[in-house]
Amino acid sequence: MFGKGLMTGMGITIRHFFGRKATFCYPEEKLTMTEHFRGGHLTIDYKKCIACQLCAIQCPNQAIKLKVVTDANRKRHLESYVHSMGRCLYCDLCIEGCAPHALSWDKNYEISTWHKEDLVHQVITDEDRAYLADVMARAAANPTPPPAPKAPPKPAAKPATPSPETEVKPGE
Amino acid sequence: MPQTETYILNMGPQHPSTHGVLRVNLELDGERILRATPMMGYLHRGIEKLLEARTYVQGVPYTDRLDYVSSMNNNFGYCRAVEELAGIEVPERAEYIRVIMAELNRIASHQVFIGSLANDLGASTGMLYTFRDREEILDLFDLVCGARMTFHYIRVGGVARDLPPEFAEKCRKFLDRVPEFTAEYANLLMGNEIFQRRLKGVSRLTPEQALAHNMTGPNIRATGIPFDIRKVDGYSVYPRFGFEVPVGENGDNWDRFQVRFREITESARIVRQALDGLPEGPVMAKFPKMLKPPQGEVFSRTEGTRGELGFYIVSDGTAKPYRVHIRRPSFINMQALDDMCRGYLIGDSVVAFSAIDPLMGEVDC
Ligand code: SF4
Ligand code: SF4
Repeated sequence: MFGKGLMTGMGITIRHFFGRKATFCYPEEKLTMTEHFRGGHLTIDYKKCIACQLCAIQCPNQAIKLKVVTDANRKRHLESYVHSMGRCLYCDLCIEGCAPHALSWDKNYEISTWHKEDLVHQVITDEDRAYLADVMARAAANPTPPPAPKAPPKPAAKPATPSPETEVKPGE
Repeated sequence: MPQTETYILNMGPQHPSTHGVLRVNLELDGERILRATPMMGYLHRGIEKLLEARTYVQGVPYTDRLDYVSSMNNNFGYCRAVEELAGIEVPERAEYIRVIMAELNRIASHQVFIGSLANDLGASTGMLYTFRDREEILDLFDLVCGARMTFHYIRVGGVARDLPPEFAEKCRKFLDRVPEFTAEYANLLMGNEIFQRRLKGVSRLTPEQALAHNMTGPNIRATGIPFDIRKVDGYSVYPRFGFEVPVGENGDNWDRFQVRFREITESARIVRQALDGLPEGPVMAKFPKMLKPPQGEVFSRTEGTRGELGFYIVSDGTAKPYRVHIRRPSFINMQALDDMCRGYLIGDSVVAFSAIDPLMGEVDC
Protein backbone atom coordinates (compact mmCIF):
# COMPACT_ATOMS: atom_id res chain seq x y z
CA MET A 1 0.00 0.00 0.00
CA PHE A 2 1.33 3.39 -0.90
CA GLY A 3 2.02 5.41 2.22
CA LYS A 4 2.56 2.43 4.46
CA GLY A 5 6.24 3.25 4.89
CA LEU A 6 5.36 6.78 5.84
CA MET A 7 2.93 5.58 8.49
CA THR A 8 5.54 3.22 10.02
CA GLY A 9 8.00 6.09 10.14
CA MET A 10 5.49 8.38 11.78
CA GLY A 11 4.74 5.66 14.31
CA ILE A 12 8.37 5.70 15.40
CA THR A 13 8.36 9.46 15.64
CA ILE A 14 5.27 9.44 17.81
CA ARG A 15 6.70 6.76 20.08
CA HIS A 16 9.81 8.84 20.62
CA PHE A 17 7.75 11.96 21.13
CA PHE A 18 6.40 10.46 24.33
CA GLY A 19 9.58 8.56 25.15
CA ARG A 20 12.64 9.46 27.15
CA LYS A 21 14.56 12.54 26.05
CA ALA A 22 17.97 11.96 24.49
CA THR A 23 19.14 15.53 25.08
CA PHE A 24 19.60 17.75 28.09
CA CYS A 25 19.65 21.48 28.75
CA TYR A 26 23.28 22.30 28.09
CA PRO A 27 24.22 25.59 29.72
CA GLU A 28 22.19 24.80 32.82
CA GLU A 29 23.27 21.18 33.12
CA LYS A 30 26.84 20.19 32.45
CA LEU A 31 28.53 16.93 31.75
CA THR A 32 31.44 15.67 33.76
CA MET A 33 34.33 14.67 31.58
CA THR A 34 35.88 11.22 31.57
CA GLU A 35 39.12 10.37 33.32
CA HIS A 36 41.33 10.68 30.27
CA PHE A 37 39.52 13.62 28.69
CA ARG A 38 41.85 15.68 26.56
CA GLY A 39 40.86 19.27 26.34
CA GLY A 40 40.94 22.62 28.02
CA HIS A 41 44.00 24.28 29.41
CA LEU A 42 47.24 22.59 30.26
CA THR A 43 47.98 22.76 33.97
CA ILE A 44 51.29 22.08 35.57
CA ASP A 45 52.19 20.85 39.00
CA TYR A 46 55.08 23.24 39.35
CA LYS A 47 56.84 21.48 42.20
CA LYS A 48 56.93 18.18 40.34
CA CYS A 49 58.34 19.62 37.11
CA ILE A 50 62.05 19.02 36.58
CA ALA A 51 62.29 21.36 33.57
CA CYS A 52 63.48 18.59 31.28
CA GLN A 53 61.67 20.12 28.27
CA LEU A 54 60.58 16.72 27.04
CA CYS A 55 57.00 17.93 26.69
CA ALA A 56 58.05 20.62 24.23
CA ILE A 57 60.19 18.16 22.29
CA GLN A 58 57.37 15.64 22.06
CA CYS A 59 54.87 18.17 20.74
CA PRO A 60 54.33 17.62 17.01
CA ASN A 61 53.22 21.17 16.36
CA GLN A 62 55.48 23.23 18.62
CA ALA A 63 52.53 24.38 20.69
CA ILE A 64 54.58 24.57 23.87
CA LYS A 65 57.15 27.27 24.43
CA LEU A 66 59.07 27.21 27.68
CA LYS A 67 61.97 29.05 29.21
CA VAL A 68 64.27 27.40 31.71
CA VAL A 69 66.46 29.10 34.32
CA THR A 70 69.23 27.50 36.33
CA ASP A 71 69.61 28.48 39.95
CA ALA A 72 72.84 28.79 41.92
CA ASN A 73 72.57 25.12 42.88
CA ARG A 74 72.58 24.21 39.18
CA LYS A 75 68.97 23.02 39.39
CA ARG A 76 66.73 23.89 36.49
CA HIS A 77 63.35 25.57 36.88
CA LEU A 78 60.69 26.77 34.50
CA GLU A 79 60.58 30.50 34.09
CA SER A 80 57.73 30.63 31.65
CA TYR A 81 55.52 28.04 30.06
CA VAL A 82 53.23 29.08 27.22
CA HIS A 83 50.68 26.78 25.63
CA SER A 84 49.34 27.99 22.28
CA MET A 85 45.97 26.34 22.18
CA GLY A 86 45.47 27.44 18.60
CA ARG A 87 48.35 25.22 17.53
CA CYS A 88 47.50 22.35 19.82
CA LEU A 89 46.23 19.07 18.38
CA TYR A 90 45.13 17.80 21.80
CA CYS A 91 47.08 14.67 21.04
CA ASP A 92 48.29 14.04 24.61
CA LEU A 93 51.89 13.38 23.56
CA CYS A 94 53.21 16.09 25.90
CA ILE A 95 51.44 14.61 28.90
CA GLU A 96 52.55 11.08 28.09
CA GLY A 97 56.09 12.30 27.60
CA CYS A 98 56.31 13.93 31.01
CA ALA A 99 58.12 11.44 33.22
CA PRO A 100 57.28 13.01 36.64
CA HIS A 101 53.57 13.36 35.65
CA ALA A 102 53.59 17.09 36.22
CA LEU A 103 51.25 17.97 33.34
CA SER A 104 47.52 17.47 33.09
CA TRP A 105 44.44 18.89 31.41
CA ASP A 106 41.98 20.91 33.42
CA LYS A 107 39.06 19.20 31.59
CA ASN A 108 37.32 22.45 30.89
CA TYR A 109 35.48 22.12 27.62
CA GLU A 110 34.33 25.72 27.38
CA ILE A 111 37.53 27.21 26.05
CA SER A 112 36.34 29.15 23.02
CA THR A 113 37.57 32.72 22.98
CA TRP A 114 36.59 35.92 21.22
CA HIS A 115 40.10 36.72 20.05
CA LYS A 116 42.88 34.69 18.58
CA GLU A 117 45.35 36.17 21.07
CA ASP A 118 43.38 34.72 23.97
CA LEU A 119 44.28 31.24 22.77
CA VAL A 120 47.79 31.73 24.09
CA HIS A 121 47.65 30.40 27.59
CA GLN A 122 50.18 31.10 30.35
CA VAL A 123 50.42 27.84 32.23
CA ILE A 124 52.56 29.11 35.11
CA THR A 125 50.54 30.95 37.74
CA ASP A 126 51.60 33.84 39.97
CA GLU A 127 51.85 31.40 42.84
CA ASP A 128 54.37 29.37 40.86
CA ARG A 129 56.34 32.51 40.09
CA ALA A 130 56.48 33.44 43.76
CA TYR A 131 57.67 29.93 44.50
CA LEU A 132 60.34 30.23 41.80
CA ALA A 133 61.55 33.58 43.19
CA ASP A 134 61.72 32.02 46.63
CA VAL A 135 63.72 29.01 45.40
CA MET A 136 66.08 31.18 43.40
CA ALA A 137 66.71 33.47 46.38
CA ARG A 138 67.34 30.56 48.70
CA ALA A 139 69.72 28.95 46.23
CA ALA A 140 71.55 32.24 45.73
CA ALA A 141 71.97 32.59 49.49
CA ASN A 142 73.42 29.11 49.76
CA PRO A 143 75.16 28.37 46.43
CA THR A 144 76.87 25.10 45.67
CA PRO A 145 80.51 25.68 44.77
CA PRO A 146 81.29 25.19 41.10
CA PRO A 147 82.44 21.66 40.27
CA ALA A 148 86.08 21.21 41.09
CA PRO A 149 88.03 20.92 37.85
CA LYS A 150 90.60 18.68 39.51
CA ALA A 151 88.06 15.92 40.09
CA PRO A 152 89.28 12.71 38.46
CA PRO A 153 87.25 11.46 35.50
CA LYS A 154 85.01 8.52 36.26
CA PRO A 155 85.19 6.26 33.23
CA ALA A 156 83.38 3.35 34.86
CA ALA A 157 80.30 5.29 35.92
CA LYS A 158 79.44 6.54 32.47
CA PRO A 159 78.06 4.21 29.80
CA ALA A 160 80.01 4.34 26.57
CA THR A 161 77.01 5.07 24.38
CA PRO A 162 73.74 6.63 25.47
CA SER A 163 70.94 4.09 25.35
CA PRO A 164 68.42 4.68 22.56
CA GLU A 165 65.66 5.03 25.15
CA THR A 166 67.03 8.30 26.41
CA GLU A 167 68.51 9.67 23.25
CA VAL A 168 66.11 12.47 22.37
CA LYS A 169 67.50 15.48 20.63
CA PRO A 170 65.71 18.82 20.70
CA GLY A 171 64.10 19.75 17.44
CA GLU A 172 63.52 16.22 16.23
CA MET B 1 13.30 28.56 -34.33
CA PRO B 2 14.33 29.03 -30.66
CA GLN B 3 17.84 27.94 -29.79
CA THR B 4 18.70 26.19 -26.53
CA GLU B 5 22.10 26.35 -24.90
CA THR B 6 23.77 24.37 -22.19
CA TYR B 7 24.92 26.30 -19.18
CA ILE B 8 27.34 25.83 -16.33
CA LEU B 9 26.19 25.75 -12.73
CA ASN B 10 28.57 25.76 -9.80
CA MET B 11 27.34 23.68 -6.92
CA GLY B 12 29.33 24.53 -3.82
CA PRO B 13 31.84 25.02 -2.32
CA GLN B 14 29.40 26.43 0.23
CA HIS B 15 26.44 24.18 -0.29
CA PRO B 16 24.55 22.45 2.50
CA SER B 17 24.74 19.04 0.86
CA THR B 18 28.36 18.90 -0.20
CA HIS B 19 29.49 17.65 3.23
CA GLY B 20 32.33 20.07 3.43
CA VAL B 21 33.82 22.20 0.76
CA LEU B 22 33.44 20.50 -2.57
CA ARG B 23 32.60 22.41 -5.69
CA VAL B 24 30.96 20.54 -8.53
CA ASN B 25 30.90 22.12 -11.93
CA LEU B 26 27.67 21.00 -13.58
CA GLU B 27 26.99 21.42 -17.25
CA LEU B 28 23.24 21.44 -17.64
CA ASP B 29 20.75 21.10 -20.42
CA GLY B 30 17.69 22.40 -18.64
CA GLU B 31 17.42 20.14 -15.61
CA ARG B 32 19.49 17.31 -17.08
CA ILE B 33 23.14 16.97 -16.22
CA LEU B 34 25.46 16.60 -19.18
CA ARG B 35 28.71 16.63 -17.26
CA ALA B 36 29.72 16.90 -13.62
CA THR B 37 33.28 17.86 -12.77
CA PRO B 38 34.33 17.81 -9.13
CA MET B 39 36.70 20.64 -8.27
CA MET B 40 38.79 19.89 -5.23
CA GLY B 41 41.37 21.47 -3.04
CA TYR B 42 39.37 23.77 -0.78
CA LEU B 43 40.36 21.80 2.30
CA HIS B 44 43.93 21.01 1.34
CA ARG B 45 46.23 21.14 4.37
CA GLY B 46 49.23 19.29 3.00
CA ILE B 47 49.02 16.42 5.44
CA GLU B 48 51.50 14.33 3.44
CA LYS B 49 54.08 17.08 3.80
CA LEU B 50 53.24 17.60 7.46
CA LEU B 51 53.92 13.92 8.04
CA GLU B 52 57.27 14.21 6.30
CA ALA B 53 58.29 17.00 8.67
CA ARG B 54 57.54 15.02 11.81
CA THR B 55 58.80 11.82 13.38
CA TYR B 56 56.89 8.62 12.77
CA VAL B 57 55.26 8.71 16.19
CA GLN B 58 54.36 12.38 15.97
CA GLY B 59 52.62 11.80 12.64
CA VAL B 60 49.78 9.72 14.04
CA PRO B 61 47.57 12.61 15.27
CA TYR B 62 47.70 14.12 11.79
CA THR B 63 46.13 11.04 10.25
CA ASP B 64 43.14 11.68 12.53
CA ARG B 65 42.40 14.70 10.43
CA LEU B 66 42.20 12.89 7.11
CA ASP B 67 38.84 11.24 7.40
CA TYR B 68 37.70 12.80 10.62
CA VAL B 69 34.58 10.65 10.86
CA SER B 70 36.61 7.45 11.09
CA SER B 71 39.87 8.48 12.67
CA MET B 72 40.51 5.09 14.22
CA ASN B 73 40.74 3.47 10.80
CA ASN B 74 43.22 6.09 9.64
CA ASN B 75 45.39 5.65 12.74
CA PHE B 76 45.22 1.93 12.11
CA GLY B 77 46.35 2.20 8.50
CA TYR B 78 49.23 4.53 9.22
CA CYS B 79 50.47 2.58 12.22
CA ARG B 80 50.37 -0.68 10.29
CA ALA B 81 52.49 0.86 7.55
CA VAL B 82 55.08 2.20 10.02
CA GLU B 83 55.19 -1.10 11.88
CA GLU B 84 55.74 -2.98 8.66
CA LEU B 85 58.53 -0.59 7.75
CA ALA B 86 60.24 -0.81 11.14
CA GLY B 87 59.49 -4.48 11.71
CA ILE B 88 57.60 -4.00 14.96
CA GLU B 89 55.60 -6.93 16.33
CA VAL B 90 52.32 -5.76 17.81
CA PRO B 91 51.06 -7.62 20.90
CA GLU B 92 47.99 -9.72 20.34
CA ARG B 93 45.80 -7.87 22.81
CA ALA B 94 46.59 -4.62 21.03
CA GLU B 95 45.56 -6.16 17.69
CA TYR B 96 42.22 -7.19 19.16
CA ILE B 97 41.64 -3.76 20.65
CA ARG B 98 42.51 -2.19 17.32
CA VAL B 99 39.97 -4.32 15.51
CA ILE B 100 37.29 -3.47 18.09
CA MET B 101 37.99 0.23 17.67
CA ALA B 102 38.15 0.12 13.88
CA GLU B 103 34.87 -1.73 13.61
CA LEU B 104 33.08 0.50 16.13
CA ASN B 105 34.30 3.44 14.12
CA ARG B 106 33.02 1.83 10.93
CA ILE B 107 29.56 1.63 12.52
CA ALA B 108 29.77 5.28 13.57
CA SER B 109 30.86 6.33 10.12
CA HIS B 110 28.06 4.44 8.39
CA GLN B 111 25.62 6.04 10.78
CA VAL B 112 26.84 9.42 9.63
CA PHE B 113 26.36 8.22 6.06
CA ILE B 114 22.79 7.11 6.64
CA GLY B 115 21.97 10.29 8.52
CA SER B 116 23.44 12.62 5.96
CA LEU B 117 21.89 10.73 3.06
CA ALA B 118 18.51 11.07 4.70
CA ASN B 119 19.19 14.71 5.35
CA ASP B 120 20.17 15.32 1.74
CA LEU B 121 16.92 13.75 0.63
CA GLY B 122 15.01 16.16 2.82
CA ALA B 123 14.35 13.80 5.74
CA SER B 124 16.23 15.72 8.39
CA THR B 125 14.70 13.60 11.16
CA GLY B 126 16.70 10.63 9.93
CA MET B 127 19.87 12.42 10.81
CA LEU B 128 18.83 12.91 14.44
CA TYR B 129 18.24 9.21 14.98
CA THR B 130 21.57 8.09 13.57
CA PHE B 131 23.48 10.78 15.42
CA ARG B 132 21.78 9.85 18.66
CA ASP B 133 23.11 6.30 18.34
CA ARG B 134 26.51 7.45 17.13
CA GLU B 135 26.82 9.35 20.40
CA GLU B 136 26.98 6.04 22.23
CA ILE B 137 30.01 4.97 20.21
CA LEU B 138 31.64 8.34 20.76
CA ASP B 139 31.05 7.94 24.49
CA LEU B 140 32.83 4.59 24.34
CA PHE B 141 35.76 6.21 22.55
CA ASP B 142 35.77 9.05 25.04
CA LEU B 143 36.08 6.48 27.77
CA VAL B 144 39.11 4.76 26.26
CA CYS B 145 41.02 7.68 24.83
CA GLY B 146 39.54 10.91 26.14
CA ALA B 147 38.38 12.34 22.84
CA ARG B 148 35.20 12.16 20.85
CA MET B 149 36.86 12.88 17.53
CA THR B 150 40.51 12.84 16.44
CA PHE B 151 41.15 9.92 18.74
CA HIS B 152 44.88 9.30 18.41
CA TYR B 153 44.33 6.05 20.24
CA ILE B 154 45.93 3.51 17.93
CA ARG B 155 49.66 4.19 18.12
CA VAL B 156 52.73 2.89 16.41
CA GLY B 157 53.39 -0.42 18.19
CA GLY B 158 50.00 -0.91 19.80
CA VAL B 159 47.39 1.28 21.43
CA ALA B 160 47.77 4.23 23.77
CA ARG B 161 46.46 2.56 26.91
CA ASP B 162 44.58 -0.50 27.97
CA LEU B 163 40.80 -0.61 27.94
CA PRO B 164 39.18 0.67 31.13
CA PRO B 165 37.50 -2.11 33.15
CA GLU B 166 33.98 -0.92 32.46
CA PHE B 167 34.50 -0.81 28.70
CA ALA B 168 33.54 -4.41 27.89
CA GLU B 169 30.23 -4.15 29.67
CA LYS B 170 29.31 -0.81 28.11
CA CYS B 171 30.35 -2.03 24.68
CA ARG B 172 28.19 -5.14 25.00
CA LYS B 173 25.29 -2.98 26.03
CA PHE B 174 25.75 -0.96 22.86
CA LEU B 175 26.04 -4.11 20.72
CA ASP B 176 22.78 -5.37 22.18
CA ARG B 177 21.14 -2.23 20.94
CA VAL B 178 22.37 -2.66 17.35
CA PRO B 179 19.42 -4.76 16.11
CA GLU B 180 17.05 -2.34 17.81
CA PHE B 181 18.33 0.78 16.14
CA THR B 182 18.94 -0.79 12.74
CA ALA B 183 15.30 -1.89 12.78
CA GLU B 184 14.38 1.65 13.63
CA TYR B 185 16.34 3.06 10.69
CA ALA B 186 14.76 0.46 8.45
CA ASN B 187 11.25 1.40 9.53
CA LEU B 188 11.96 5.08 9.46
CA LEU B 189 13.66 5.27 6.09
CA MET B 190 13.75 2.10 4.05
CA GLY B 191 10.01 1.57 3.95
CA ASN B 192 9.45 5.14 2.86
CA GLU B 193 8.32 5.30 -0.77
CA ILE B 194 9.91 8.67 -1.44
CA PHE B 195 13.22 7.45 -0.10
CA GLN B 196 13.06 4.33 -2.29
CA ARG B 197 12.16 6.20 -5.43
CA ARG B 198 14.94 8.68 -4.99
CA LEU B 199 17.51 5.88 -4.66
CA LYS B 200 16.37 2.85 -6.68
CA GLY B 201 17.79 2.71 -10.18
CA VAL B 202 19.48 6.09 -9.83
CA SER B 203 23.18 6.62 -10.55
CA ARG B 204 23.76 3.08 -11.70
CA LEU B 205 27.30 1.88 -12.22
CA THR B 206 28.24 -1.43 -13.80
CA PRO B 207 30.98 -3.50 -12.15
CA GLU B 208 33.22 -2.72 -15.15
CA GLN B 209 32.73 1.00 -14.69
CA ALA B 210 33.39 0.77 -10.98
CA LEU B 211 36.58 -1.19 -11.63
CA ALA B 212 37.67 1.23 -14.32
CA HIS B 213 37.31 4.06 -11.80
CA ASN B 214 39.26 2.03 -9.27
CA MET B 215 36.47 2.36 -6.74
CA THR B 216 36.81 0.49 -3.49
CA GLY B 217 34.88 -0.06 -0.31
CA PRO B 218 31.10 -0.11 -0.14
CA ASN B 219 30.93 1.64 -3.49
CA ILE B 220 32.41 -1.28 -5.39
CA ARG B 221 30.63 -3.85 -3.26
CA ALA B 222 27.34 -2.24 -4.25
CA THR B 223 28.03 -3.26 -7.85
CA GLY B 224 28.37 -6.88 -6.82
CA ILE B 225 32.14 -7.29 -6.53
CA PRO B 226 32.92 -8.69 -3.08
CA PHE B 227 36.19 -6.82 -2.69
CA ASP B 228 36.96 -6.27 0.96
CA ILE B 229 40.60 -6.03 2.07
CA ARG B 230 39.73 -7.49 5.44
CA LYS B 231 38.92 -10.70 3.51
CA VAL B 232 41.33 -10.36 0.58
CA ASP B 233 44.47 -9.59 2.60
CA GLY B 234 43.30 -10.92 5.93
CA TYR B 235 45.46 -8.44 7.80
CA SER B 236 45.69 -8.07 11.58
CA VAL B 237 43.45 -10.59 13.36
CA TYR B 238 40.52 -10.35 10.95
CA PRO B 239 40.86 -13.95 9.65
CA ARG B 240 39.93 -15.20 13.14
CA PHE B 241 36.47 -13.67 12.98
CA GLY B 242 33.48 -14.83 11.03
CA PHE B 243 31.76 -12.09 9.07
CA GLU B 244 30.04 -11.64 5.74
CA VAL B 245 30.83 -9.09 3.10
CA PRO B 246 27.50 -7.62 2.00
CA VAL B 247 27.25 -6.99 -1.75
CA GLY B 248 24.66 -5.31 -3.90
CA GLU B 249 23.31 -6.29 -7.30
CA ASN B 250 22.48 -3.26 -9.37
CA GLY B 251 25.13 -0.78 -8.39
CA ASP B 252 22.58 1.96 -7.83
CA ASN B 253 22.24 4.30 -4.90
CA TRP B 254 19.84 1.96 -3.17
CA ASP B 255 22.50 -0.77 -3.15
CA ARG B 256 25.12 1.62 -1.86
CA PHE B 257 22.81 2.42 1.00
CA GLN B 258 21.96 -1.25 1.60
CA VAL B 259 25.58 -2.38 1.63
CA ARG B 260 26.51 0.11 4.33
CA PHE B 261 23.37 -0.58 6.26
CA ARG B 262 24.16 -4.29 6.38
CA GLU B 263 27.79 -3.65 7.21
CA ILE B 264 26.70 -2.14 10.53
CA THR B 265 25.39 -5.53 11.62
CA GLU B 266 28.50 -7.34 10.35
CA SER B 267 30.83 -4.92 12.15
CA ALA B 268 28.87 -5.43 15.34
CA ARG B 269 29.39 -9.19 14.89
CA ILE B 270 33.16 -8.69 14.62
CA VAL B 271 33.25 -6.49 17.71
CA ARG B 272 31.35 -9.06 19.72
CA GLN B 273 33.68 -11.89 18.68
CA ALA B 274 36.73 -9.75 19.42
CA LEU B 275 35.38 -8.86 22.87
CA ASP B 276 34.77 -12.53 23.60
CA GLY B 277 38.22 -13.59 22.49
CA LEU B 278 40.16 -10.64 23.93
CA PRO B 279 43.45 -12.08 25.24
CA GLU B 280 45.38 -10.71 28.20
CA GLY B 281 48.80 -9.17 27.82
CA PRO B 282 50.59 -5.96 27.04
CA VAL B 283 49.09 -3.41 24.67
CA MET B 284 52.28 -1.77 23.47
CA ALA B 285 55.28 -3.24 21.70
CA LYS B 286 58.78 -2.38 22.86
CA PHE B 287 60.79 -0.25 20.47
CA PRO B 288 63.22 2.64 20.84
CA LYS B 289 61.62 5.96 21.59
CA MET B 290 63.32 7.61 18.66
CA LEU B 291 62.12 5.26 15.97
CA LYS B 292 64.44 5.05 12.98
CA PRO B 293 63.19 2.44 10.51
CA PRO B 294 65.80 1.01 8.16
CA GLN B 295 66.05 2.41 4.65
CA GLY B 296 63.32 1.16 2.38
CA GLU B 297 59.75 1.67 1.35
CA VAL B 298 56.42 0.12 2.17
CA PHE B 299 52.89 0.21 0.85
CA SER B 300 50.38 -1.03 3.33
CA ARG B 301 46.63 -1.06 2.80
CA THR B 302 43.72 -1.52 5.13
CA GLU B 303 39.99 -1.44 4.65
CA GLY B 304 38.96 2.01 5.76
CA THR B 305 35.30 2.83 6.06
CA ARG B 306 35.28 4.34 2.59
CA GLY B 307 37.49 1.85 0.82
CA GLU B 308 41.08 0.89 0.42
CA LEU B 309 43.18 3.16 2.59
CA GLY B 310 46.81 2.86 1.60
CA PHE B 311 49.93 4.41 3.06
CA TYR B 312 53.10 4.50 1.03
CA ILE B 313 56.07 5.46 3.19
CA VAL B 314 59.69 5.80 2.13
CA SER B 315 62.30 5.79 4.87
CA ASP B 316 65.82 7.10 4.43
CA GLY B 317 66.92 5.71 7.77
CA THR B 318 66.36 8.92 9.73
CA ALA B 319 63.74 9.69 12.34
CA LYS B 320 61.41 11.30 9.82
CA PRO B 321 59.86 9.72 6.74
CA TYR B 322 61.38 10.77 3.46
CA ARG B 323 58.10 10.56 1.60
CA VAL B 324 54.54 9.73 2.59
CA HIS B 325 51.79 9.21 0.10
CA ILE B 326 48.26 8.43 1.17
CA ARG B 327 45.88 6.57 -1.08
CA ARG B 328 42.64 8.10 0.03
CA PRO B 329 39.58 6.10 -0.98
CA SER B 330 37.24 9.10 -1.06
CA PHE B 331 39.45 10.91 -3.51
CA ILE B 332 39.52 8.02 -5.94
CA ASN B 333 35.83 7.20 -5.54
CA MET B 334 35.01 10.80 -6.44
CA GLN B 335 36.09 10.15 -10.02
CA ALA B 336 32.91 8.23 -10.61
CA LEU B 337 30.75 11.27 -9.85
CA ASP B 338 30.60 12.21 -13.52
CA ASP B 339 29.36 8.79 -14.60
CA MET B 340 26.88 8.73 -11.75
CA CYS B 341 25.38 12.11 -12.61
CA ARG B 342 25.27 12.05 -16.40
CA GLY B 343 21.72 12.08 -17.70
CA TYR B 344 20.10 12.54 -14.30
CA LEU B 345 18.43 15.59 -12.79
CA ILE B 346 20.15 18.19 -10.62
CA GLY B 347 18.46 16.84 -7.54
CA ASP B 348 20.00 13.43 -8.20
CA SER B 349 23.49 14.85 -8.24
CA VAL B 350 23.11 15.64 -4.54
CA VAL B 351 22.09 12.05 -3.88
CA ALA B 352 24.89 10.65 -6.04
CA PHE B 353 27.37 12.73 -4.16
CA SER B 354 25.98 11.63 -0.83
CA ALA B 355 25.96 7.97 -1.88
CA ILE B 356 29.66 7.96 -2.73
CA ASP B 357 30.10 9.14 0.86
CA PRO B 358 33.26 11.16 0.42
CA LEU B 359 34.76 13.10 3.27
CA MET B 360 36.39 16.28 2.10
CA GLY B 361 39.15 16.08 4.67
CA GLU B 362 40.24 12.90 2.98
CA VAL B 363 39.63 14.01 -0.61
CA ASP B 364 41.79 17.12 -0.29
CA CYS B 365 44.12 15.62 2.29
S1 SF4 C 1 58.05 17.12 30.48
FE1 SF4 C 1 57.13 17.45 32.51
S2 SF4 C 1 58.91 17.69 33.86
FE2 SF4 C 1 59.69 17.97 31.78
S3 SF4 C 1 59.56 20.21 31.43
FE3 SF4 C 1 57.65 19.32 30.66
S4 SF4 C 1 56.25 19.50 32.39
FE4 SF4 C 1 58.30 19.74 33.24
S1 SF4 D 1 48.48 17.97 23.22
FE1 SF4 D 1 49.90 17.54 21.52
S2 SF4 D 1 49.84 19.38 20.26
FE2 SF4 D 1 48.95 19.93 22.25
S3 SF4 D 1 50.65 20.76 23.41
FE3 SF4 D 1 50.53 18.57 23.92
S4 SF4 D 1 51.92 17.56 22.47
FE4 SF4 D 1 51.54 19.63 21.69
